[in-house]
Amino acid sequence: MAVAPYATPVEKAWYYTFRVICGLIFFFLIMPILVIIPLGFNPVPFFTYPMEGFSWRWYGEIFGDSPISILWQRSMVNSVVVAICATLLATILGTLAALGLTRADFPGKPAVMAILISPIMVPIVVIAVGMFYFYAQVGLVSTLSGIILAHTTLGVPFVVITVSATLQGFDHNLVRAGAILGANPVRVFRKVTLPIITPGVVSGSLFAFAASWDEIVVVLFLASTEQHTVPRRMWSGIRELLSPTIIAAATMLIIISILLMFTMEWLRRRSERMRGLTPS
Amino acid sequence: MAAVSPNAGGPIMLDGVPLKIRLERAERMRKVKAVGLILPLFIFLMVTFAIPIVVMLMRSVENPEIVQVLPRSAAAMRLWDGEGFPPNEAMQTFAAEVVTAKAAKTLGKAAKRLNYNASGFRSMLFKTGTKLERAIEKEGEEAVLQGPEMLERFIDIDKRWGERRYWSIIRQASPPHTAWYLLRSVDRDYDENTDIVPISEDQAIHVEVLWRTIVISAVVTLLCLLLGFPIAYLLGTLPTKQSNLLILLLLLPFWTSLLVRTTAWLVLLQNEGVINDIAIYFGLWDEPLQLVRNRMGTYIAMVHILLPFMVLPMFSVMKGIDPYHMKAAASLGANPVSAFIKVYLPQTLPGVGAGVLLVFILSLGYYITPALVGGPADQMLSYFIAFHVNTTVNWGLAAALSALLLVCVMIFFAMYQRLVGVGNIRMN
Amino acid sequence: MPGESEALVEFDNVDKTFDGETLVVKNLNMEVGQGEFLTMLGPSGSGKTTTLLMLAGFESITHGDILLGGRSLKNVPPYRRDIGMVFQNYALFPHMTVEENLAFPLEARKMPRDQIKEKIDRALAMVRLSEFSRRRPAQLSGGQQQRVAVARALVYEPALVLMDEPLGALDRQLRENMQYELKHIHETVGVTVVYVTHDQGEALTMSNRIAVFNEGEVQQIATPQVLYEEPENAFVAQFIGENNRLMGTVRSLNGKECQVEIDGGGEVAALAVNVAGVGERTTLSLRPESVKIDPPADGYPDRFDARVEELIYLGDHTRVRVNVCLHDDFIIKVPRSGDAPRLEVGETHTVGWNPADCRALDA
Repeated sequence: MAVAPYATPVEKAWYYTFRVICGLIFFFLIMPILVIIPLGFNPVPFFTYPMEGFSWRWYGEIFGDSPISILWQRSMVNSVVVAICATLLATILGTLAALGLTRADFPGKPAVMAILISPIMVPIVVIAVGMFYFYAQVGLVSTLSGIILAHTTLGVPFVVITVSATLQGFDHNLVRAGAILGANPVRVFRKVTLPIITPGVVSGSLFAFAASWDEIVVVLFLASTEQHTVPRRMWSGIRELLSPTIIAAATMLIIISILLMFTMEWLRRRSERMRGLTPS
Repeated sequence: MAAVSPNAGGPIMLDGVPLKIRLERAERMRKVKAVGLILPLFIFLMVTFAIPIVVMLMRSVENPEIVQVLPRSAAAMRLWDGEGFPPNEAMQTFAAEVVTAKAAKTLGKAAKRLNYNASGFRSMLFKTGTKLERAIEKEGEEAVLQGPEMLERFIDIDKRWGERRYWSIIRQASPPHTAWYLLRSVDRDYDENTDIVPISEDQAIHVEVLWRTIVISAVVTLLCLLLGFPIAYLLGTLPTKQSNLLILLLLLPFWTSLLVRTTAWLVLLQNEGVINDIAIYFGLWDEPLQLVRNRMGTYIAMVHILLPFMVLPMFSVMKGIDPYHMKAAASLGANPVSAFIKVYLPQTLPGVGAGVLLVFILSLGYYITPALVGGPADQMLSYFIAFHVNTTVNWGLAAALSALLLVCVMIFFAMYQRLVGVGNIRMN
Repeated sequence: MPGESEALVEFDNVDKTFDGETLVVKNLNMEVGQGEFLTMLGPSGSGKTTTLLMLAGFESITHGDILLGGRSLKNVPPYRRDIGMVFQNYALFPHMTVEENLAFPLEARKMPRDQIKEKIDRALAMVRLSEFSRRRPAQLSGGQQQRVAVARALVYEPALVLMDEPLGALDRQLRENMQYELKHIHETVGVTVVYVTHDQGEALTMSNRIAVFNEGEVQQIATPQVLYEEPENAFVAQFIGENNRLMGTVRSLNGKECQVEIDGGGEVAALAVNVAGVGERTTLSLRPESVKIDPPADGYPDRFDARVEELIYLGDHTRVRVNVCLHDDFIIKVPRSGDAPRLEVGETHTVGWNPADCRALDA
């Protein structure tokens, strides 16, 4: 988009106004995330600028050995354990289902698809309350396994959607090409199919990981102090007394988000490059 | 080798079996294999997700308390036609069971259930139990529980028993299933004649909350559309190299935890927060403005969180619009504004529709953000569901409100599915 | 000529059905000679691609057998057939470089490293892509991808290479260049090629022999010249090259000659190629260049009056559309030369042809 050579002054003015408006909207999107990060290094517990210095004090509250720190550290371990287990489960179940969904048509397929996708559409409180009610009767409340199962459920739609999309874009002729070139089915799967669909599976699992890592509502209902995750600890902190320790924890979550985002973008652009010029 | 009979008109045979049947068998095997791959996830979701929600929703029509605690009374009350007062025998049964349940310490459960309908019922029931026990000690069991004028005795214990309302509440709580919770979720109730009536205005809250939920969602969706359209248009019309860079600015908030972003707004908007300080420093206003724990804060934070969900579907549609269409429109004599409105805008509608529905559906279920940055008057349906689970422990009402929210979401989800198709949901 | 040499591939009474009701390939009997370039030509849905896929091993054979070098292929999976194949969309592996794509079949055959390197270099030199060995397919143009696909199908020196409309995705100019390039590669390497296309020009340019498919059956297998000049039925005549059709009824039959009464008037002598008998319907097939305008008196016994409807100047010749016997889509090609007749739209001229050029075929 550039100013056309025949643009009138009004059009030119609009062109630049429009860019300024877009700039402001992007500022609105990014500003809150960037503004809070330095506040975690403020030596005093105030949330405003100018800062009075620089200090690791609040990070010390998370990584130190006070009772509070122990709670933070335990919540980190819980977050990591839950996210990894839920991601693994969601990736395996979701990838298998996506393979089945792309392989054949069967009656009721749209309905099955709708059910597999519904965890991202059903309001999270309804899910959490339902799980709390049901899991309580089978002894899964206040257990890590309960939270892992719940987070798997929340992450699985992302895996199904992403992997299905990848498989739909997969050119079945590549498998034929592999076979006619002399590779047996195992070799074709290992050398052709797997490398091509792996980025899709990885993207799906990153989504599932993020879904678990950021999740708070289900944990609010299912977890007791023992199973608190990082978002859950932040929640308690926010409700009791907003301290810069929360900002420090938030900053760490932001860094993980940025890492996830760049991995995702890298995968996406890589697969776009690969598809690039191939004639359809 | 078996012969094939081509061109014979009839079915083609191979090894004596019609080939059609063999092929159908092979096709069926393929389907079975496909279903076999989906089955593990399907069962998993059924057990961890669908069944729990359905079981919980069943609570909205289940009515087990009276049936369990006062089973014979429940049966007797169900036989009562609701005219006048219950027959004397039913009252005798009721009195006997109240005494037994109080001794067995199960009366509390029934009392809590009846208290949902009329506050004060709980204490009245326990008082009745105590007084009946004392009367039995004094007069003997038979005289009290087989008395010919049970109603008189009940009114002596508490004069409220003289109101038909209380008896009809017991009758309404007696069947194993009830529509009462569902009625309460839309601010309706049974009167003493079991007719459906609106509840008194000082108690009515859920319709207002439902309406508030829809209004907040609609305003958030509209704001997202207003802010999202320009940047989707910018991203969709920029060369890929530049848009790839800008899109990171959109994806960073998208990937950042909802809780983190809500916290950020809480920090920015609070009275001693960054925005108030800067505004006062520059003289925009003199006293800290209340920007958070009100509707304003709720809108700001929710728009911020949901904006990427609006932009991404619009962007992917706009990216696919041929830029030559605008040039063609210009060459045909349309000025930029009418070319945009008549040529460009209609082509963006699928993306706009998808974005609008997605954001609206997601907003309907919002809980965390309003709970943290909103005030008491900004809480949405989700908040009340959680409230009835955690605070009043009224599962029936929580389930009924869940059903209400779920129905709203389903309506728009069905529209979304029609417009976009579940299989076509794309991320990134 | 290659068609006469020993057969490499034999189709033996091959039938194919997908749904168990209709046969998409009917009783196919065909041989492909060693070193031959055989093209299967036909409209879409004619069964040519299905035949190719059965030969490659991607579709099962419902009935009959296919032999490769005298050996039945029935129970041989694709990866043991040692056949090369160029796919319509090339099917290059997007995650591998050009080099890795070419190495794939060699590594699958457990060839030693140095030999692999040598073979890849030779194959890339053949398709003039040596500098591109480290690129990914997406970084190549359509024509370059096409040549990589050809190199990959040839690098392990299979006895037979299958090509499934390999030029379909290319633009016209490139397609014509690639036709010559493929023809040359075939001539230098000496590999047997079975080629599928729906483009008759492509088939005529490259093939030793062409098998014309329609509705699951081979209509005629012959060299391009025979196919064009001596089509055996109305479908082949119409499908290959430009053709004028006149419908009529056989009035008399005398060995190779017959008299046909054309619908809309007039009786002509024609070559009886494929007629059912006296009194039966027939299609007369005439190539536009065989028809003369204002022909000399002898040698052209079939003569009609024709009204000139349209003239299109095409440089080397002029296409003349005339109305003959109530057919207003009759085309005549008049080569550009000094003695070409001067024609105006609306004039009536005499047109005529030699009965030997007028083939009476099935109706």
